[in-house]
Amino acid sequence: MSSERAAIAIEGLGKRYLIPRRDGSRLRAHLKEFLPFAGRDENDYFWALRDLDLEVRPGDVLGIVGKNGSGKSTLLKILSGVTPPTAGRAVLRGKIASLLEVGTGFHPDMTGRENVFMSGALLGIGQAEIRAKFDEIVDFSGIETFIDVPVKRYSSGMYVRLAYAVASMLRSDILILDEVMAVGDVSFREKSQKNIEKLAEEGRTILYVSHNARSVASLCTSGIILDGGRCVFRGTAKDTVTAYLRRVHHYDDAPDMNAAAHDLAAAPRMTHGKHVLRRASTHAPDGTPTNRFRTGGGMLVRIAYEGATVANPYFSVLVQNEFAERVATLHSTHQGGDLRIPANGVVECRTDDLRLGEGAYRLMLDFGSYGGTRAAMVSLDCVPNAIPIRVELGEYVKGIGLDSFQGAAHRSAWRLCDKDTGAA
Amino acid sequence: MTEDRPDDGPVTVIEPSVRFGLGLAGTWRSRELLLIFSRRQISARYRQMLLGTLWAAMEPLGLLLMMTVIFGLLLKVDTEGYPYPVFAFAGMAAWLVFSRATLAVAGCLLDNMGLISKVYFPRLILPVAAVARELFDGLLMMAILLLLAFAYGYPPTPRMLALPLILAFSALLALAVGLWFAAFLVKFRDIRPILGLCLQAGMYATPIVYSASLVPDRFRPIYDLNPMLWVVEFSRWALLGKEVALSPALFLSGGVSLLLLLGGLSVFSLYERMAVDVQ
Repeated sequence: MSSERAAIAIEGLGKRYLIPRRDGSRLRAHLKEFLPFAGRDENDYFWALRDLDLEVRPGDVLGIVGKNGSGKSTLLKILSGVTPPTAGRAVLRGKIASLLEVGTGFHPDMTGRENVFMSGALLGIGQAEIRAKFDEIVDFSGIETFIDVPVKRYSSGMYVRLAYAVASMLRSDILILDEVMAVGDVSFREKSQKNIEKLAEEGRTILYVSHNARSVASLCTSGIILDGGRCVFRGTAKDTVTAYLRRVHHYDDAPDMNAAAHDLAAAPRMTHGKHVLRRASTHAPDGTPTNRFRTGGGMLVRIAYEGATVANPYFSVLVQNEFAERVATLHSTHQGGDLRIPANGVVECRTDDLRLGEGAYRLMLDFGSYGGTRAAMVSLDCVPNAIPIRVELGEYVKGIGLDSFQGAAHRSAWRLCDKDTGAA
Repeated sequence: MTEDRPDDGPVTVIEPSVRFGLGLAGTWRSRELLLIFSRRQISARYRQMLLGTLWAAMEPLGLLLMMTVIFGLLLKVDTEGYPYPVFAFAGMAAWLVFSRATLAVAGCLLDNMGLISKVYFPRLILPVAAVARELFDGLLMMAILLLLAFAYGYPPTPRMLALPLILAFSALLALAVGLWFAAFLVKFRDIRPILGLCLQAGMYATPIVYSASLVPDRFRPIYDLNPMLWVVEFSRWALLGKEVALSPALFLSGGVSLLLLLGGLSVFSLYERMAVDVQ
């Protein structure tokens, strides 16, 4: 096999589902669904995926991102053979294994041991191979004691760990993975991320669907963005993540770091209500406009608003890192008590110790009514990317530093303990 | 999804086009999965039952007891001189395998929707495993049947070796019938109760609780076309030595069964891929 041949070649792939319009009677819609020639027209169909052309070279790790309902899962289902396409063609070279859910074929009444063999067989791992790797699987899952207990008695975490341990034995040329990282606790997620990294290093072709921009950026070599069933972007993994953040979180490529004040009247919103937030600016603690701050230093955010006529109003400043992960929340209710404000005005949010690591951040501004409890909170106007800021560590923490996705900055003192005061 | 294996490894081509076939080759390649899946089907049924697989025997025995009381003792149905319980059970065991397996095959795609919407494997494994489970129950019933026959004075003979074959034929027949419905039952769930009702009627259209000699001769040419009639007749032959009057209808119904099976296999392989989308 020549090395240039694509591992996966997709041409004009499309999938449509029949969803009869409910314009006439219910009966008519039912008839349309059941009878192939009962006057269906194009409006009765919904294209979950349309005109997709794609080539994946052997060894590529392709990240597939997109909002819910953009066609990601449909694509994976077609490629794994679960559902046929309506149009187009895909050619896959090599042994394929797909992991569209964790715990494929697990039966609640069966023991962990029995399920390992069943799930393995369904994923295409031979029984001899599973027998040979059984100890490794059990070891990876870390549930030795419970391997002969029916899985319905497992905690959900144990269930997921065992299921993933089986899947981690997959050694196919092409691997199709759907959101598998989104399960288990943090240490287990790291374990499975390492496993995918290892698979990628072994030169396997991987299709990886995820909502998590950071995992796509760190695992994948290239990526595509699906929107409404069509491929709207393709490029390197880094470019794909940038483009995805721009589309979904309205992140701009090169934020204007010189402007400290931002007009929000026409900025993209996450909400569909009236635009209450009008302008916003960031300032140093003495009031000088700036968007560069220091870890452990102070920050002022001023928000000009209009028409805030709701009961129990709140404002919040939400700090997000470059991968659109929330790293800090500054909420007006945190100071206790209601915010008493006129309908139009300017509020100021002040923090004296900014606990952010080094890097670029975006401030998301939110206005709404909190109704007395967290559950009754309603967001009325939310600007996802209101102000870009930069944070420098300065002298707050030294040594190897702290990045924007490593959590809050805390000063810590380290010393060697005397033997008798040491931990038991 | 089609798969072929040239020298440089497997190549999978995914296309919308419909392919005719029986789907036997892919199932044969995945025979290991078929085996483990059948085993699971069998063991899952008797999990958390104190009596476990004994139930496979208890249930038909209970049914037999009721039938013996009503048809054997009260109505005194003519069995051509054979003891009623053995006479009836010989027919019923094969029929139970057939009717349960038919329903299981017809419902196999719907019952395993969680599985088939998440992972690809040759779908024919599902109905075959369902049949294997019913066949397992059938073999247990056979064992009871042999004990029952022995108690009524019919010692083991080489003829009885034909019993598993007869049972296997009725399981194959169930596959043939059920496969026609499996894909459509996913969308039209009415099929399941309708099929159940038809099978109930079928039980009385087959000489199980009564003897075929009760049927008037002028109806026999049509009556004899029922393949299950021959299954029942041959079980009685194997067990009791009751003679089978061979007629052209035997070969006709055998031919029909074969066509049913081939048709069922191709209908299933044509439409199973649509099942996930229409559920």
